[in-house]
Amino acid sequence: MTREAFMARLWDGLKGLPPQTAAEIVADYQAHFTEGEAAGRTDSDIAAALGDPDRLAVELRAEAGLKRWEAERNPAAAAAAVFAVLGLGAIDLLILLPILMGVVCTLFGIAIACIGVMIAGAVVFAAGPFSQPPGGPVVALLGGLGLMAGSVSGAAILTLICIGLTNALVWYGRLHFRLLKPAIDPQPWATTEPARP
Amino acid sequence: MPESVDIQLKKGALDLCVLALLSRADGYAYEIASRLAVAIGMGEGTIYPLMRRMQSDGLVETYLVESTAGPSRKYYRLTPKGRESFAAQRDAWRAFATAVDDILGEPQ
Repeated sequence: MTREAFMARLWDGLKGLPPQTAAEIVADYQAHFTEGEAAGRTDSDIAAALGDPDRLAVELRAEAGLKRWEAERNPAAAAAAVFAVLGLGAIDLLILLPILMGVVCTLFGIAIACIGVMIAGAVVFAAGPFSQPPGGPVVALLGGLGLMAGSVSGAAILTLICIGLTNALVWYGRLHFRLLKPAIDPQPWATTEPARP
Repeated sequence: MPESVDIQLKKGALDLCVLALLSRADGYAYEIASRLAVAIGMGEGTIYPLMRRMQSDGLVETYLVESTAGPSRKYYRLTPKGRESFAAQRDAWRAFATAVDDILGEPQ
């Protein structure tokens, strides 16, 4: 692969990153080619030793996604981090997807239940004084407040669980992308060429 | 995902090797990459994701050094946090390696 081809594929793979970050990454690899050429290696040698640009881009993008999740802690960043980890291929989609679907559906169900209880609490609270509830209006008012408070704390716990799950997934993904297999497989030149002075 | 023992070992040791090289002298990525590629046979391209990760984790920082020939080089140096991390990882590695050696050395 030529230097131009390697760079073109790397650029392609880095789409979606902030332009500044992508430019920094590309500059790193450009410098690598320049150093390599100065050391008397050919472009194709250097490109082969660098590894697959598509896989490198996937890892670089995943790292950026995980960093964003650590910095921002919002649903968009969580989704980006989850997809970044999936993109690494570190987790088998066929195994993970059913589990993930189950977990997401359960969490969604609990969220809906929380909203339902919240509305029920509001209705009891608002209607309490005007109808004839068992136990009198005060009980209805307090009961409504209690229901609403309960649903709020339920939602808070749910949020904590979501954050914890995303963190766990990110941690798992990181274990796997510390080094990518195609990039670490011994390169032919590394064993045939003597060490650079 | 079956991976050979060899690759698993390299995965675990690469961070430590980079920290060790930088603890002796500041270096630039090409130098570190070619050194490790020859020594432990890792792909050179992996050094850049690794350096970015270490930089965002606050283990290393960069500075530019003007070069008489060609563009200026980006050098990496360990931060105090990087030194701490290196010392901790080195000790853990040595303890582990000694324990494994002991077991390997036991008579059958």
